[in-house]
Amino acid sequence: MTKSILALLIGALIVPSVNAADAAVMPKELPAYAADKPLPVPEIAKRTLANGLTVWVVARDAMPRVDYVLAFKNAGLAADDATRPGFASTLAGLLSEGSEQRDSKAIAETAQSYGGGVAAFASNDGLIVSADALASNAGPMLGLLAEIVRQPSFPEQEIALAKANALQGLKAAEAQPGFRAERAILKAVYGEHPYARTQTTEAGINAITRDALVAAYRARLRPDQALLVVAGRIDANAAFELAQQRFGDWQVEGKAAAATSPSASSATRSFVHLERTGSVQSALRIGRPAVAATDADYIALRVTSTILGGGFSSRLMQNLREDKGYTYGAGLGYRAQMAGGALIAAADVRNEVTGAALGEFFAEYKRIGAEVVSASELDMNKRYIAGGYLIGNQLQGAVAGSLANNWLVGLPPEFLGEFVPKVRAVDAAQVQAIGKKYFAPEQQSIVVVGDAAVVAQLKGYGTFADAK
Amino acid sequence: MSALRTPKFLPFLIGLALSASTFAADSDRFALPIAVKTLTNGLTVVVSEDHSAPVVGISVVYKVGMRSEPKNRTGFAHLFEHLMFEGTPSAPEGTFDKVITGGGGRNNGSTRPDFTNYIEIAPVSALEPILWLEADRMTTLDFNEKTLKNQQDVVKEEIRVNVKNQPYGGFMWIDISQQAFSKWENNHDGYGSFVDLESAKIDDVRAFHRDYYGPNNAVLALAGDVTPEQGFALAERYFGKIAKRDTPKRPEVDEPLNTAERRITQSDPLAQVPAVAIGYKIAERGSADQAPIAVLADVLAGGDASRLYQGLVKGKTMALNIDSLFGLTGPFEYDGPTLLTLFALYKPNIKVDDVLAEIDAQIAQVVKDGVADAELARVKTAMLADWNNSLESFLSRADTLAKYQALWGDAKVANQVPGWIQAVTSDDLKRVAAKYLTVANRTVIDRKPAAMLATDTEKK
Repeated sequence: MTKSILALLIGALIVPSVNAADAAVMPKELPAYAADKPLPVPEIAKRTLANGLTVWVVARDAMPRVDYVLAFKNAGLAADDATRPGFASTLAGLLSEGSEQRDSKAIAETAQSYGGGVAAFASNDGLIVSADALASNAGPMLGLLAEIVRQPSFPEQEIALAKANALQGLKAAEAQPGFRAERAILKAVYGEHPYARTQTTEAGINAITRDALVAAYRARLRPDQALLVVAGRIDANAAFELAQQRFGDWQVEGKAAAATSPSASSATRSFVHLERTGSVQSALRIGRPAVAATDADYIALRVTSTILGGGFSSRLMQNLREDKGYTYGAGLGYRAQMAGGALIAAADVRNEVTGAALGEFFAEYKRIGAEVVSASELDMNKRYIAGGYLIGNQLQGAVAGSLANNWLVGLPPEFLGEFVPKVRAVDAAQVQAIGKKYFAPEQQSIVVVGDAAVVAQLKGYGTFADAK
Repeated sequence: MSALRTPKFLPFLIGLALSASTFAADSDRFALPIAVKTLTNGLTVVVSEDHSAPVVGISVVYKVGMRSEPKNRTGFAHLFEHLMFEGTPSAPEGTFDKVITGGGGRNNGSTRPDFTNYIEIAPVSALEPILWLEADRMTTLDFNEKTLKNQQDVVKEEIRVNVKNQPYGGFMWIDISQQAFSKWENNHDGYGSFVDLESAKIDDVRAFHRDYYGPNNAVLALAGDVTPEQGFALAERYFGKIAKRDTPKRPEVDEPLNTAERRITQSDPLAQVPAVAIGYKIAERGSADQAPIAVLADVLAGGDASRLYQGLVKGKTMALNIDSLFGLTGPFEYDGPTLLTLFALYKPNIKVDDVLAEIDAQIAQVVKDGVADAELARVKTAMLADWNNSLESFLSRADTLAKYQALWGDAKVANQVPGWIQAVTSDDLKRVAAKYLTVANRTVIDRKPAAMLATDTEKK
């Protein structure tokens, strides 16, 4: 019932037809934007503990809450063995299912009593454990976070339950067109690289053992590979002392896990149709490899992908939704990671317009490389990106999360504050060059999840293989 | 609030000394400054200032929703919401989103049984253009056949992507209301039938805007980097000229609790794992039972420490999850018959009756013994934190205040809710569990994968 449901459905992905940004004349009475206020840049107090744990503190007083994000490098899904894809998610989930002091229930009750929670998840590049609490419980909550990270007990019955539930969860996910489409487009984009296999499989879940969990835990969760970000109503010195107290005596042995090898920046394109009998829509995914977050193209690619498919006023949304009415939402996501990246566009469209929708995607892809973006459209998109930064910066948990994520993909702490000025410096020629380099239709793989009857519409876009 | 207050950093030694504490301190309370003014045309304006970021959240809430849509036009309130983004005589289609995007903002809208909200968050430099746009679409719309047709198509795709092409198809919020309620206003599909959606005419759009979208049927709330003086002056400048319009009387929607269980089994062609939804009719807005029901919902199903999570998902390992919903809104954001719905995916080797029996046993235990002090204290502490967190974003802060003003007639209720929650006792929980969470008052939908249902039938 809301435009935002879109965000849930197509995750990271997310406006007028030809040159609408310029064609539209603004209403006479519309007041102008006021002057921009100075860009707020988070002040980050930094310290490194003797055991190598990096601690950054962003003291803020807007809310009676403290947020913690503890990120471990090279500890995520890309570090998983090919026989156990998605393993890092189970490892993360089990951290809060039992420690040497508390069982799963006691951990949940303790977190609840502090007015917050502890949660862990795996991204491609890292394993992230986060916690938050009412400000008066900031100290105890860091204690609980340290307990689950340093002394997890991996109880057998919790492992068995996690595996049983993961198998059922996988069955439930397989019924969603988006889940299958994601798996296929990742395979098309990343090939044999670990970034291609981040979803669990039945065999992979069955292959999880306590020994494997303990071994992975020891290799991946180490202070010398970790960053703790603290944000909220706490001053930096108090936070440093808490960190020292809870993590200062944490020593580990052995070698740290290796970094993920780079993923390729190009791929042989592929065309995949996944049968979904009786489906009333086709889930379309269009993708190609891109570049890592530390690449020289990162900022300009961020701007270009926003113009093309980054918001409600983006070209894809305006064309496929607002002009054609083919879909509830069309968009494009630039997934920039530590060892590579991907550009993946998405829309779920009614069956009759499956082919026509692909045509519109590629028309927009061609145009971004063929025509110079107008000054007003470029400026609108740069301001949109800057606004996103300001809006995120209002939320202390988002600041902590962005800092941790930037660190995981190899960006320095200053990057957060430098991002908007760098975006503002991108010009139209750069956008066109990026458009040519990354959005040529003949470099894009296509995945269609839908009824067999739609395949006839795919002629002209490639030779589609049927897959499961 | 925050920017005006001297920073009081946590004395962390005290925090450590009290590590066994399970109570929220007074300093953990998050009270909002709330200023309210009604313009002569009836538009109520709420401002909550906070200069901690150069950002502002804006919400315009209209007191109309699915309960008030015409009877042969199911889904119309929601279709109309889409048309609010499709242009006016002064600002043609595309202008609205472009101005907000260029201002660095994000916007959205949503339709609920008792209200429809239009929300934006943006750098404060975009505040005036956004207020101009909101006032412009409150004044009139483009009423254009082409955009009506376009949005009829878009809404149908929305229903396909969220309902028809999804396993479970939103049965825990659409179908459960259709089964549980007796009056059309409460039990029709608010997403609408394709026939009704396709039947909508420009005259319907015109009439709905005239009748329900006047300033006197709306609330404007601003939260963030703006003072009440600035907010009221801007509201007067941009909205003050819009004439008041007659609003139809709200339909009579009340209905009593159910006296006999309603229960159906549905076949789901897409799902692979069975699911169950159990809806209980709850107390009306403003009832002394409302806060106890909110606390009870969290005792039973509020996160990993809750009784049903520990009982169904962990202890008996019958279910994959347990969630609770208050219709399509929250425990304090409705103004007519509403359900507290429990929703779980359960394991294929488990009988739904066993899931229901476990839920009933947990409810019976609350009815008999209430909830012990320590458990009640930690649930309330978590609810206080959740409440604070829900108001952190200037967007949700503005929207919450606008909704409370629209539904309760008083935005300041937002500062009372934490106190209501704090005042709930174990006896309150016993009372509301016994009154509302009964078999007679519940509606159950057992949603089974089609293949599984076919096998079940063969066995019989």
